[in-house]
Amino acid sequence: MTVLKTSLRNFLAHKGRMALSAVAVLLSVAFVCGTLVFTDTMNTTFDKLFQATSSDVTVSAKGSSDTGETTSRTGRPPTVPASVVGRVRGAEGVRSAEGTVFSTSVTVVDAGKDKLSPSSGAPTIVGSWNHNDARTMKITSGTAPKGPGQVMVDADTADKHHLRLGDEIGVITALGTHHARVSGIAAFRVTNPGTAIFYLDTATAQRTLVGRSGVYTNVNVTAARGVSDARLKKNVTAALGHGYKVQTAKEVADANQKSVESFLDVMKYAMLGFAGIAFLVGIFLIINTFSMLVAQRTREIGLMRAIGSSRRQVNRSVLIEALLLGVLGSVLGVGAGIGIAVGLMKLMGQIGMHLSTSDLTVAWTTPALGLLLGVVVTVLAAYLPARRAGRISPMAALRDAGTPADAKAGIVRAVIGLLLTGAGGWSLYVATEADKATTGSGWLGLGVVLTLIGFVVIGPLLAGLLVRVLAAVILRVFGPVGRMAERNALRNPRRTGATGAALMIGLALVACLSVVGSSMVASATDQLDKTVGTDFIIQGDQEYKMIDQQMVRKIKDTPGLARVTEYKLLDASLTTPDGHVSTSETINAADPTYARDVRTKTVAGNLADAYRPGSMSVFEGFADRHGIKLGSTVAVDFKDGGTARLTVRAITSDEAVVDKGAMYVAISTAAKSVPAGHMPLDQLVFATAEDGRQAAAYKALKSTLSADPALTVRDQTDYKKALKDQIGQLLNMIYGLLALAIIVAVLGVVNTLALSVVERTREIGLMRAIGLSRRQLRRMIRLESVVIAVFGALLGLGLGMGWGATAQKLLALEGLNVLDIPWPTIIAVFIGSAFVGLFAALVPAFRAGRMNVLNAIATE
Amino acid sequence: MTSAVTIPRHGGTGGRTAVAARARQVVKAYGSGETRVVALDHVDVDIARGEFTAIMGPSGSGKSTLMHCLAGLDTVTSGQIHLDETEITGLKDKKLTRLRRDRIGFIFQAFNLLPTLNALENITLPMDIAGRKPDRAWLDRVVETVGLAGRLKHRPTQLSGGQQQRVAVARALAARPEIIFGDEPTGNLDSRAGAEVLGFLRRSVDELGQTIVMVTHDPVAASYADRVLYLADGRIVDEMRQPTADQVLDRMKDFDARGRTS
Repeated sequence: MTVLKTSLRNFLAHKGRMALSAVAVLLSVAFVCGTLVFTDTMNTTFDKLFQATSSDVTVSAKGSSDTGETTSRTGRPPTVPASVVGRVRGAEGVRSAEGTVFSTSVTVVDAGKDKLSPSSGAPTIVGSWNHNDARTMKITSGTAPKGPGQVMVDADTADKHHLRLGDEIGVITALGTHHARVSGIAAFRVTNPGTAIFYLDTATAQRTLVGRSGVYTNVNVTAARGVSDARLKKNVTAALGHGYKVQTAKEVADANQKSVESFLDVMKYAMLGFAGIAFLVGIFLIINTFSMLVAQRTREIGLMRAIGSSRRQVNRSVLIEALLLGVLGSVLGVGAGIGIAVGLMKLMGQIGMHLSTSDLTVAWTTPALGLLLGVVVTVLAAYLPARRAGRISPMAALRDAGTPADAKAGIVRAVIGLLLTGAGGWSLYVATEADKATTGSGWLGLGVVLTLIGFVVIGPLLAGLLVRVLAAVILRVFGPVGRMAERNALRNPRRTGATGAALMIGLALVACLSVVGSSMVASATDQLDKTVGTDFIIQGDQEYKMIDQQMVRKIKDTPGLARVTEYKLLDASLTTPDGHVSTSETINAADPTYARDVRTKTVAGNLADAYRPGSMSVFEGFADRHGIKLGSTVAVDFKDGGTARLTVRAITSDEAVVDKGAMYVAISTAAKSVPAGHMPLDQLVFATAEDGRQAAAYKALKSTLSADPALTVRDQTDYKKALKDQIGQLLNMIYGLLALAIIVAVLGVVNTLALSVVERTREIGLMRAIGLSRRQLRRMIRLESVVIAVFGALLGLGLGMGWGATAQKLLALEGLNVLDIPWPTIIAVFIGSAFVGLFAALVPAFRAGRMNVLNAIATE
Repeated sequence: MTSAVTIPRHGGTGGRTAVAARARQVVKAYGSGETRVVALDHVDVDIARGEFTAIMGPSGSGKSTLMHCLAGLDTVTSGQIHLDETEITGLKDKKLTRLRRDRIGFIFQAFNLLPTLNALENITLPMDIAGRKPDRAWLDRVVETVGLAGRLKHRPTQLSGGQQQRVAVARALAARPEIIFGDEPTGNLDSRAGAEVLGFLRRSVDELGQTIVMVTHDPVAASYADRVLYLADGRIVDEMRQPTADQVLDRMKDFDARGRTS
């Protein structure tokens, strides 16, 4: 009990010094709990949404997706004949059946031809107003659509785009553009998942979306009283035979849930990964805090030992303090985590997804996991300092302990650290030499971990070295104040090393990713320069946005173009000579001119031959796996058509960024097996200008494409820029998440400085007494802080650039063959770290300056 | 580096006024109302230039407070303190800091040196802070005088207690301050090391004309001074010139006896 009492008293006596460690635990735990609560809440919301929006049983065409999504490469969703409705009505246990038409292969524009799509990337849906949707939507103004000239809009979209009753909108599909005026606005009764939805009446929807009456995309079936969905499904299937897809509400919801979940899982684990990094950094902070507290209490602990406390008791008292810290930080962290989740939900509201806080899902495992993580990590981190406290001899009570003795970095540490770093460096080297990406990535991972640990272990030694170098370069300018800052940073290399190492981790990841990202851009640019022989690339703004035939015709009619190449993707299963059947492969069907537009390297044959009738190309890896040689025959079973036996005339190299792993056929070859109605629309269109007319052609193409704002034409420069922006955005998002780890590391710097200032109270008093001004004192602490931060940055950037370069060498196998080190980013991070140092010193320097000289001298 | 105050080029009187520091009606009180404690009660004192003054008195007599106030480390409640011609009462922190840096030397009882700096760096620290170049010849002489020539590159932890205090004395002397204040400079030393340090202080007064004020409760230490001031209850109650250790001890016993009977 006395142990507990002393721990509690110590904890309370040093609550200020514990605060920053508690914040570190709090932040990490909050991030974990926030992520879990947020993803759980999203799951709950979607679950409710899918349950609410599906009818009891849905009938759709055999080939349509499980989730009921009506996207199609042909631009027209698969349909069932209207007669199905009548046959379903005849089935037992059916109360009602209603045919509906929905499509997401649409672009909706307002009168000014601006897109009315969600910015979040959620789909735009156009469909027929029906009884099932009338359950989940409430008409808030106007009336339901009636006749070809009317359309009803969801309230969120209307709000966002300032649509009012009577406004004109255009629905662009593969069949053309349909104009209508807003007749009504309907609000979601359930959470709006962020989609924009537009309702037409059934006849108009049929004409606009599928091009003919008498067909539906879905038939919604409602069960009679007392009939279960499963029963109903059985009856409906019996009535229709096996030519249709029949799903219960639960099946549709589950399928939807699964696709959402897999996306949410990716997000969840990514965010938990970043929380893990923050935890790792937090460990350094906690170790440092406890080390310093133990050092400052050396005499006190010595006294306790002298009067009879056992080592274990001293040890335990420190661990109990850590336990208290862990519990406090975690409890607050769990609370803050729920706050973060609510904040994220509000943020989702900004991009159109209105999550309700009443759906806030806090599973019992979330706080439990948060608490467990926080407490275990804190206690583990405090273990080493606690053991050191236990080793303090009773003699320490008698010694005149001014400041704790300087901790010297030992020889053992140097040897272990160098061994680890060496082994890590060797692993990285092996990774660059690997001839297969999969084996190489294992070595890369091992190398990253080993070099990281190695750097942490030899951090104190490096601190001694690097701080001296830094001091020679920058601190000397500041005269004696700089010299004292240098000495202070060097006085406890272990502490400086650990503080810098915490910063190192975050910055190493930043540096590594920036190198990989910029190498990706550089490699892709390089490849584009080398391979692309066309001027313009036309594509949709989303993966499922196709280019319809009317538009392709218009593009071909655009003046100033020498040639236009169409490019489609077809699903097929391939039977190779080895007898293997590869299902769900993608075939790239293009015009023969594509061989000139994108000069893909071949390892065998000539790519132009692959576009001859009855021919195709495969990629190196596929050819190797299935024993395909030039002249081999592959049976291609097109998903929406028949089977073609095609001869392999070219094998493409796998060292490519553009179109890696593509298998080409001519569109005309595919058209022999795929009926016109099932032929997918163009995924991409390439246009090449006549010599010297590039600028005019670009302008002309832009004006041609203005009819459909969902399509964009880019010349090579703009395409590269778009690519760069895309990678830049991804990197920024990752940097944002890494900011958490960096914030924790900065807290660590603040903490180290603050505790150092307390520890050096007498020194500061002495210096002030003999004439050091407040400004000089503050500058001294700021310089020390800058040196620690810059030290961490140097380690981190060096390590990260090494990792990044290794990753690039490894990924060169996958086409990432240009190493590009983004010096502006690296230098910005380096300079930024100096400012971080200045910032971290703000409070400690202020407090040191405010110290009363007399009290400082008198401090025991 | 410009300085608001003049820096004396010599430790001696140099034709200046005979008084290096003076206090007039100095009151230092802590708290207010019923809890008010008066540490200094209308103290008048003149510190003669080129003299070694010891301040003695029982614990709580206010002797340390007086020294802190004279040295510009502490503020007074009322009254004036002058250092040479400069009134230091009412000066802001910035000016006080500069004054301590340029015109005053300190020797504390313990923890006199920065552990991160070696002996020489500690000695020149006040001048380094001020951005002044130390006078090489003078520095050599001071180092010679205190007998540290062989140990200038040593860190404080590598020096004995006596050596550390000698470094502190050297630091105080090196900048040629107008006045040196010592707060029990030999309190932590054995008698031999203490005698050594006191010997240096005495010699710096005799040979270099330095002005020194030292707080002590050791009669032997006080006997090195030219003049001993006795403080009790925040007032100067007596003074003695050319004291010997025995005389000081006797006087102290007197005070103790009086203190007990009153």
